[in-house]
Amino acid sequence: MAEVFETINWALVAPLLVIQLILQVVALIDWFRIEHTNGPKIMWLFIILLLNMIGPILYFVVGRRQE
Amino acid sequence: MMQFMTVFKREMLEAGRNFKWIWVPLVFILLGISDPLSTYYLPQIIESVGGLPEGASFEIPTPPAHEVLMMSLAQYSQLGVLVIALMSMGLISGERKSGVAELVLVKPVKYSTYVSAKWSAVSVLVLVSFFAGLIASWYYVNILFGDISLLDLIWTWFFYGLWLLYVISISVFMNTLFKVPGLVGFLTILFVILTSIITNIFSHVLEWSPAKISGYIRTMLSDGSIPGDLWGTALVTIGISALLLIAAIYTFRTKEMA
Repeated sequence: MAEVFETINWALVAPLLVIQLILQVVALIDWFRIEHTNGPKIMWLFIILLLNMIGPILYFVVGRRQE
Repeated sequence: MMQFMTVFKREMLEAGRNFKWIWVPLVFILLGISDPLSTYYLPQIIESVGGLPEGASFEIPTPPAHEVLMMSLAQYSQLGVLVIALMSMGLISGERKSGVAELVLVKPVKYSTYVSAKWSAVSVLVLVSFFAGLIASWYYVNILFGDISLLDLIWTWFFYGLWLLYVISISVFMNTLFKVPGLVGFLTILFVILTSIITNIFSHVLEWSPAKISGYIRTMLSDGSIPGDLWGTALVTIGISALLLIAAIYTFRTKEMA
């Protein structure tokens, strides 16, 4: 596994990680500010934090209450 | 025109507040770069996942640059369409359900203005996001696989953008038919899938069906010139989208009057 890490060109993969970080941070900021979510609020915190990529997107699409 | 801009600006403001202007472009960029990257690293991924018998080796040919760009387009035709459908499913139906639509339409705002301004707002967001994603994909393809000219990329954006506008038009039409956002999203996706199924069945008759647009884009990228069928398909796609919009305005008017 270690040599696999070395063969990866991090300059190529870094944007992917940055985008994921931005998505996660924005989702978290919104999670703090929002009053009600679709379903239990604490559940969405775990979804945002634990599911890579898909978590924040799910939160934006489903979690924010459509009022 | 003034009215149109007002509704349009309001829609833009709301998209900003919902963080749509942040997450939709980011998702499109993610979709765009995931395929060039995973195709490039496929040998390493297979190696690290393992499961191959000792000594097994097979050559994975490096696909040509335009094939990789087509893979990104395939991502947009699946997950991209899903994102568009989910993002726009509450566009009008949600406002009608909550009564915001009445608040707007009580003022002298035409039904056609309301529908077309909303359609334009979503279209701008999607086209900008798609452009960002395509540029990201192009950048990676150029680094990892080979050159694709900027002109080809812009044509790809233009023609595939028409297909995305078609999806948005379906969504807007469904929005005016039903008040439940979930149902709207589901029917939009169903309609898009039906388009490709019908196109596959009647393939020899429907030469210019919107679902064939990505196939012609592939021809365009590999041959380097725009096939005549692509223009025809583009025209048909624009026509159907316009018809859907007109139908949307019509149903919206009759539904709201009733």
